[in-house]
Formats: sequence, structure tokens, C-alpha cells
Amino acid sequence: MTPLTAFNLCALALFCMGLYGVLARKNLIAMLIGVELMLNAASLNALAWGRYGLVDPAHAAVSGQILVLFIIGLAAAEAAIALAIILAVHRHRHSVDVDDLDTLEG
Amino acid sequence: MVLDTPTLTRLALAALAAPLCAFAIAGLALRSRPRAAAALVIASGALTALATLAILALADAPIQQVWTWLRVGDTDLGFGVLLDPRSRLMGAVVGVITLLVQIYSTGYMAHDPGRTRFFALLALFEWAMLGFAYAPDLLQAFIFWELVGLASFFLIGFWYDRPEAIAAAKKAFIMTRVGDVAMLIGLVLLFALAGTLDIRESLDRLHSLLQGHGITSLQVEVAAALLFVGVVGKSAQFPLHTWLPDAMAGPTPVSALLHSATMVAAGVFLFARFEELFLLAPLTRSAALLLTAFTALLAALLASVQVDIKRVWAWSSISQLGTMLAGLAAGGLSSGLFHLTTHAAFKALLFLSAGALIHHYGTQDLRALGRAGARRDRLTMLGLLVGAAALAGIPGFAGFASKEAVLTAVHDVPGRAAATGFALLVIGAGFTAYYVGRVAFLLLRPTAAEPHEPTPPDAHGHPPTTAMSASILTLTLITLALAFAGPLVASLLGQPLPELALAHAVPGIAAVALGLAVAVFDFGRKSSAPPLFERVPALHGLLLRGFYVDAIYQRVFVGAARLCARALHFAETRLLDPAADGLARLTLAMGEGTARGQSGQLQRYIGVAALLLACVALWLGFAE
Amino acid sequence: MSALAQIPILPLLLATPLACTLLTLVVPERLIKPLNATLSALALGLALALALGFDATTGGYQFAFVRPWIPAFRIQLDLAADGIAVLMSLLNAVVYFTGTLTMWSLNHRTREYFAFISLLVFGVFGVFLSRDLFAFFFFYEVAVLPMYPLIAVWGSTRKAYAAMKLTLYLMAGSALLFPSLIALYVLGGGDTWSIPELARRGFDPSVQVFLYPFLYVGFGILAGMWPLHGWSPTGHVAAPTSVSMLHAGVLMKLGAFGILRVAIGILPHGAEVWAPVAASLATAGIIYGAFVAWRQTDFKYVIGFSSVSHMGIVLLGLATLSADGTRGAVFQMFAHGVMTALFFSVVGFIYDQTHDRDIDHYGGLATQVPVAGTLFILAALCGMGVPGFASFVAEFLVFVAALQAWPVLGIIAIAGLVITAAYLLRVLGKALFGPPNPERAGLLDLRPVQALPRVILAGLLLLFGFVPQLALDLISHIGAVVK
Repeated sequence: MTPLTAFNLCALALFCMGLYGVLARKNLIAMLIGVELMLNAASLNALAWGRYGLVDPAHAAVSGQILVLFIIGLAAAEAAIALAIILAVHRHRHSVDVDDLDTLEG
Repeated sequence: MVLDTPTLTRLALAALAAPLCAFAIAGLALRSRPRAAAALVIASGALTALATLAILALADAPIQQVWTWLRVGDTDLGFGVLLDPRSRLMGAVVGVITLLVQIYSTGYMAHDPGRTRFFALLALFEWAMLGFAYAPDLLQAFIFWELVGLASFFLIGFWYDRPEAIAAAKKAFIMTRVGDVAMLIGLVLLFALAGTLDIRESLDRLHSLLQGHGITSLQVEVAAALLFVGVVGKSAQFPLHTWLPDAMAGPTPVSALLHSATMVAAGVFLFARFEELFLLAPLTRSAALLLTAFTALLAALLASVQVDIKRVWAWSSISQLGTMLAGLAAGGLSSGLFHLTTHAAFKALLFLSAGALIHHYGTQDLRALGRAGARRDRLTMLGLLVGAAALAGIPGFAGFASKEAVLTAVHDVPGRAAATGFALLVIGAGFTAYYVGRVAFLLLRPTAAEPHEPTPPDAHGHPPTTAMSASILTLTLITLALAFAGPLVASLLGQPLPELALAHAVPGIAAVALGLAVAVFDFGRKSSAPPLFERVPALHGLLLRGFYVDAIYQRVFVGAARLCARALHFAETRLLDPAADGLARLTLAMGEGTARGQSGQLQRYIGVAALLLACVALWLGFAE
Repeated sequence: MSALAQIPILPLLLATPLACTLLTLVVPERLIKPLNATLSALALGLALALALGFDATTGGYQFAFVRPWIPAFRIQLDLAADGIAVLMSLLNAVVYFTGTLTMWSLNHRTREYFAFISLLVFGVFGVFLSRDLFAFFFFYEVAVLPMYPLIAVWGSTRKAYAAMKLTLYLMAGSALLFPSLIALYVLGGGDTWSIPELARRGFDPSVQVFLYPFLYVGFGILAGMWPLHGWSPTGHVAAPTSVSMLHAGVLMKLGAFGILRVAIGILPHGAEVWAPVAASLATAGIIYGAFVAWRQTDFKYVIGFSSVSHMGIVLLGLATLSADGTRGAVFQMFAHGVMTALFFSVVGFIYDQTHDRDIDHYGGLATQVPVAGTLFILAALCGMGVPGFASFVAEFLVFVAALQAWPVLGIIAIAGLVITAAYLLRVLGKALFGPPNPERAGLLDLRPVQALPRVILAGLLLLFGFVPQLALDLISHIGAVVK
């Protein structure tokens, strides 16, 4: 098992956990954590590929890291907005249970 | 003395302009001043009458003057005047009769609140008819032909708050329009065949084209037949005759005008105007002769049982128009137009004197009029009797000469159709004498009222005014004088009246004598025996209802049209509209169907999205 | 006219209603109506100047005003007027002006109403005056869309339904049109939207035959083409007075104008191939509209279906593809526009007082309201094609051309005149004549100010009836599409 494969498998596990969290947990905060996990899985993959892999060796390490920096920044922004929304939802509905939020039902 | 062309043209234009101006001014500016309106219209009528008479008397060679009214592409549509013998004669008839009717109307309509409108419409009517008579151009002829119909619509429906007047006006307009449609198609066909709108030129060209085999005789027959349908509609010939008796709903002066010099005369004049075309179409001519002769007999029969004096004259008009048209169809241009002229005078006279009686006694029922003392109105009765004698065709009176001329013209045509037509006309003449005698006796020798008859309303009417009497007197003199006008008309039109041979005259005179004798037998003596037709109640009923022609039309044609309208209305409201609505509803339903897939559950959406993404990823993976 | 030639008259004409829209949104409430009356009068004056300044002897497109609009797609603001456009602009201006005057008593959301109306008029002018296909379609949509709020907000009788129906029908038409127009652009070389240029280049016969029905039906829907006319009577009925006037008077003409300018103009071969179908549908519309109008009990429905019938005459004239038929059709577009405007303005006047349009609930209107009654009778006479009114010459030209091109259809169409007379005389007999209905004794007649716009319309009918040359001169350069 090459290091790359190991990192990939680890990222896969992280991603699946995150996906499970998003799909199965009813609490919006828990779902948000799931999303964060998936983002981290993606970051891990990016770093691993940057270090071991497919990209031009001259810029390899750097490009993976730049991508991850962006992801962290985005994740921070996303978490801030999502938490704000969740807060607003809670204030309006006194609940953060995702099953209660079905106003989009057709 | 003969006037030069520019003067005559100007006179004709003045004759046309005067009534139009009078109509416009009276209709727009004099609404609240009926006396001024009447004066203006009569002044214009006098001017027109003088001008038309001058044109009749003081012209020589045909004059045609056309100005371009509008230019469409390369075709010029003209407006102008054609002063040839036919139009000069017709114009003078229109001018004189209209003037007399206008003068008469000052008395007859004196108490009507709408008399400004009445006089304005009379002027419009005159303008339209004169424009038609003088028309040198197919389109102009059609335009004024339509305007004649429009003016008569408004005059028949003059008392527009009476439903029966409006119904009659509607009927007149729509039935003549059936003829107009055919006529329009015929005119367009004529234009297509001859390539010109000029009436005289197109007739000339048609002749040479036919000889040069540029067109087939069938095309000419079709064009002539279509024009004849227009004539049938306008001149109220069978089978489009039922509107004319109903048109009695208009004021009596209108009837006088409508039945004599305008409207119905327009049909006859159209035939005379296109005489050359009909001469080229022997089949149409024969058919026209038979149809009009048949109409003459049929209408005379129907006139024999009417109790409403205006209805008697109405049916008699149809009958006499049939006679004129038969004469024209037989090729007797002078005979036909001579009869048109005499008929215009005596029919106007008959209606005006009938109007004077109605005005005085407040009823139109012949028997009631007689009992109310119609015979005491000496002058009116004199006029009525002179007109009646002319209508019956008693020798020495106007109608005799012209009717005999027509009969002879028909008799001179070889062939079985003409022979049948002659027989029909002679029998018709007999019945004409009969119903004329009947009217005269009912008015002069009143019978005691029968219990089932309606009692006449109280005679609170007005005796004829001076104006009315003057008109009646003038028309009486004209009618008497016209008895001797035959040769003049013939020389004007350049076609001598047929020789009055004894052999031809005998059947006609015998029929008239027989008819009068029966009338004397039926009504002229103190007897309780029922008159001719009432002895056969079934026939009497049939005649009173006009052989149910009207009812059949109502059922068949109006019914079919209504059915059609109903069916299409059904199609619109039950098929087309719901189809469109259904399409909209289908769209809505599709939207609702898709919306049902939206549960609003966030995690379900994410799950589906993840699944789809996984599928895409797998597919991409395998694709490599 | 040289001084006139210096003035950019077409942009001014187009800008006037647009300025009116914008100003209406900002001026104080009490100035809205005077503003609209003034600017619509200005538009009428400009349209008159256009008609007077148009050189009928040379014909062709005049007063051209070309500016790039979206250069990337070679879209231009290419304004130019030929005789047809001049006549139609005059019609639009007349109906705009008289319609504005008839709405003087409106007091519900006046600002929005007049803003939408002038926007609509702006679009209509744009369609008539644009030579650029894209701009043509753009203005076409601008003209069509305000109909929805105008009917849905200010309408009557089932207004929401009518507004939606109208919008859906017209959008369906646009859906057919827009791809076809793009196809014309692409197949025409992809470097010009100019209608005359596209027409000059010509298209492959098979393309023409394929594309023509899309354009014909797309525009035909707006022209009230049978059997896709369903929106039109419903819309007429629901719309407020001046919208009905614009709708039947001008908007339906956009469809016929589009057929003439774009469909027939660019795809003459397609028009020739499809002409029998078009002529049959038009004749069916003439007869169908007349018969259905005969059964109606609502004034506005009668007029609505009479529009279907009369627009059938226009479409029949266009389908003959002959010079006379086309001239007749264009003249009939004008005559019918003025006539229906007059009809609706009079009916609207009565309806405003009674809120009832059932013919049977009236009687003797000619006695009760003589001025309004006379104007209605004049419009009805024009509808019957009586000589002396504008539509007579127009219908005559169409019928002559139709008889030559399609004898059987021509005869059927002419026979429709009888039914037309029947349904119009029915209305006259029931509502205008007959014994006055005592329940309506309190009806007020038109005051002189109210009569003014209606008298203008009636006067135009008579003017163009007696002197049809005024209109025919403008359109004398129309040639036969198919020699």
C-alpha cells in the first residue's frame, strides 16, 4: 500500500462519515459538522495528491496546499453563514430539526 | 334647344350635389329645426327635379364624363355621370317623383317628431338613386346601389321604436343583400371578362370578345345570371320577394317613393342598363322572362285577397315590376322602361292617395276605409281612381299603353318560354284588373261591417293638407298625360314600341275586361255571395299567407342560418375554448405532478444528489 | 418638406410614448391625464407629419434612422417607414390619442394605467417602424406584455382568466416566433438582422416551406387567426375601454403586419406554398366569426367575434399574395382599427354608466342617447361594409382579389357579408332601435368633450370612405408577392 492509497482510504472514510452525518443526523448543527468532515476529506486528498502525486512535481506540494488554504477559508465562511442561518431558523421555529423544515414541499 | 356637354354635366352634378348637401346640412345642422330642414330638402328636390328634367329634354348624344375617384395600382376607379337616354329618363322619373313625395310629406309627416331625419333621409335616398341612375362605372353603380338599400333601410325603419318596422327594415336589407352578393360577384366577373369598369365599354367589348371567341358564352351567361339575381333581390321578384310587403311598415310617403321611382326601380334599371349583356345571354333571358312573368301572376293573385290597402299596392308593385322585367327580358327596352315610367307615376299616385286616406281615417283596412267614408274625399279618390284605372290597364290610361307594349314585346319573342311568359302575364293582367276593381268598389260602395272584423279606430286623423292634395293632383295629371308618352319614350330610347296589333292586344284586353267584370260581380252589387277567392277557403288562406313562402324561408333559410350559428357557437364554447383551457389545465397538472416529488425533506434531496453523483462517478470511472 | 426631413421624426415618434411612460411615473397625480393627453396628441401630430411628409410617389423606406444597438450580434436600432408603416403608425396614434381621451374618468391606479398604456403604444410604434428583425421582435414583446396587467387589474368580466388566456396564447405565438426568427438570422448568413436584407438574400425553398407555418401561426395568433382566435374575444370583453380599443384596433394589426412584413416578406415562396391553407383558414374565420357573433348577447362579445371575422378579411387579402389583395388588406387593417376603436369607445361609455353589456337589457338607445347611438350606428354601418365608409373600399379590394385568386373561397367570403349584416342589424334592432327600455331612462348622453374622440374616429371612417385615395396613395407601392 502506497502512502497515497493510505491517505485516499483515510479520506474516503472521513468522507463517508461526513456523508452519513449529513444524511442521517436530524440536527442541523450535526449535519454542518458532517459537511465539515467531507470538506476535510477533500482537503486531505488534495494534500496527499499534491505531495505524492499526479501534479507537476515542481509545484506539486505548493498547489495542493494552496487549494487546501482556500478550502479552509471557504469552510470558515460557510460555517459562519450556516451557523447564522441555523440561528435564524432556531429563532423563528424554535427547532433545529431538519425534518421540521419542509416548507419547500410541493 | 340642346344644351352643350359642359352645361349638361354641370346640371347632372348639381342634381347629384343638391340632395347630398341637403342631407348633410339637414342631418347635422338642422336637427332641431324641422321646418327649415323640410324647406331645404324640398328646395334641393326642386333643383334636382328641374335639372333632371332639363337633362331629359335638352340633351342629344350620350355624354359620359368620369373623374378619377381613386386609383388602385393601374386601375382607375371613376366617379362620373353617364347621360344616355336610359339614365336621362330614369333620372327625370327619380327627380320628379321624389319632389312630389317630399312636398306631400310636409303634410303627411307634419306632426312627427323625427321629421328632420325623415327629410334628410329622403334627400339621401334621392342622391343614392340618382347616383345609381347616372353611374357610368360598375363600381359606382354598385356603391350607389348599396346606398339605395341603406337609405331604404333607414326609411322603412323610420319609426324605429316599432319592432315591426325594424324587423321589416332588417328583412329588406338582408334579403336585398343576398341579391347584392350575387351582383357583386357578377360585376367582378364582368370586370374580369371585359377588363374595364366602364359599363358601356365593357358591354361593347363583351360583344366583340364573344364574337372573337375571347370568352365563352357560358361565362357571359353566368355573369348575366348573377346580375339578374341582384335584380331579383332589389326588385322583389320571386323568390326574393317577401321583403317588399313587409316594407309597408315605413311611412306611406316612403312606400310611395320606394315602390315607384327608387329602390325597386333600381333593379329594373339595372336590367335596362345591362340590356346588351342580357341580349348576349339567351338562356338567362328566357329564365328571367319566365321567372318575372310568374312573379307577375303570383303577386297579382296575392294582391287580390289583401284587406290592407298598402299591402294590395305592395303586391301589385311586385306584379308590375315582374311585368316590366319580362318586357326587358323580351328585349323590349322601350316597353320595359315605358312601363317603369308610367308605373312610377301611377304607383306613387296610388300610394299617396292611399296615404291621404290613412292619414284622414286612421286605418289601413280597405273595408274600414270604405265604411268610414273614403269616397267623400273627392280629390283623393279621383287620384286613386285614375291611378287604379292606369294600374288595371283600362284603355286610354297610362298603364294600358305601357302594359300592352310589354305584352306585345313578349309575344313577339319566338319560343315556348316567351309563349308561357305571355300567358302568365295575360292571366296576371286579368287578376290585376280584378283586384283593382275590388279596391275601388270596397272604397266606393262600403259594405256593412261583419262581426269578426276589427272596428276602425276613431277617426281623429287630419284631412289632406294643401301640399298633399297638390301632390296628388299633380301626379294625377302626370299619370293622365303619360298615357300618350309612349312614342316619346320610344323615340328617346331609339327603339320603337312594338306595333299594337289587334291579335296581340285581344288577349290582354279580354283578360282585363274579364277581371273587371268579375270584380263588378263580386263587389259591385248588393249581394251576400262571397267574392271569388273566398269561395275556396283553402285557397284564400293560402293566398292570405303568401303561399307560406315567408314561413318556409323563416323555417328553412333563417332556420338553417340559426342552426349554423348555434353549431358554431357550440363549437366555440364547448370545443375550441375548452380545448385551449384543457391545454392550460394539462400544463398545470403536469406542474402539480412534478411538485409532488418535492418532499421538502432536505436530507432526502441530499441523498438523491449524492446517489446521482455516485452514479456519475461510477459511470465516468467505467468509461475510462 | 425639406425642413421636415431634417427632423429625426421616427425616433421622436418612438420616444414620445416612452417619455410619456417615464414621466407618468414621476409627475404629480393631477398632471397625469393632461400629460398623457398632450403627449398622445403630440404623437398624433408626429404621425400626421410622417404621413404628410412621406413621399408616396417614390415609396419604399423613408426617414431611415440607423444606430447600432448590440453590435456583437449585429443588432441595430434601424428605424424606417414605408407606406404601410406610415398608415399603421397613423392608426396607432389615432387610437392612442382617442383612447387616452376616453379614459378621462378613470380614477383607479391612474398612474400605472397610463404608464402601461403608453408603454404598449411605444412597443407598437417600435414594431411598425423597425427594420431590424430583432428589434421588431423586441418591440413586439414590449407591446404584448402590458396587456396582462392592463386587463388583470383594470378589467371586468372574468378578468384574471381573460388576462391569463391572452398572455398564454400570445406567449405560445412568441414561442413559435423566436426560434424561427433566430433560424432566419442564422440561415440568412448570421451577419444581419435587417428584414429587407434578409428578404433580398432569399432562402432555400425547402427552408421557406418549413419555416413559413411557424411564422404565420406565430403572428397569426395575434391577428386573431381562426382557430387560434380564442384569446381575442375574451380579452376584448375583459379589457377596460381604451385597452379594448388598442387591443382590437391596433394590437391585432401587429399580427397581420408581422405576417406581411416578416413571414410573406422574407419567405415569399413559403407563402405561396401555404397560401391555400392560409386562405381557407381566413375564409373559415370570416364565416365562423360572423356566425358566432350572431349568437352573442354581450355587446363586447359581438364586437370581439366581429373582429375575428373582419381580421379574416385581412388575412384573406394577404393570402391572395396579389397587389390589390394586399392593399385591400392593409387598408382594411386601418379601417377595422378605427371602426373597432369607435365601437368599443361607445360601448365603454354605456357600460361605465350601467355596468351591464347585455344586449337584451337595452332598447331604443338611439332615442335615449342619440349622439352615442348615432356613433354606434355609424360603426355598425362601417362593419357591414356600406359604401361611404372606409371598410367598403378595403373589403371590395380584398374580395375582388380573392375572387380572382380563389373563386370558391371568394364567393364564400362575400356571402359572409349577409351574415355580417344579420348580426350587426340584430344588435341595432335590439339595443339601438325598438321601444326604449324604461329601466335605462336615466342614461346620460355624451357631452361634447366626451364626444370628441368618438367623433374623430367616426369622422375618419367617413373621410377615408369618401376619399380612400388618402390611404391608398400611401400603400400604392405594394407590389404583388407572386407575379
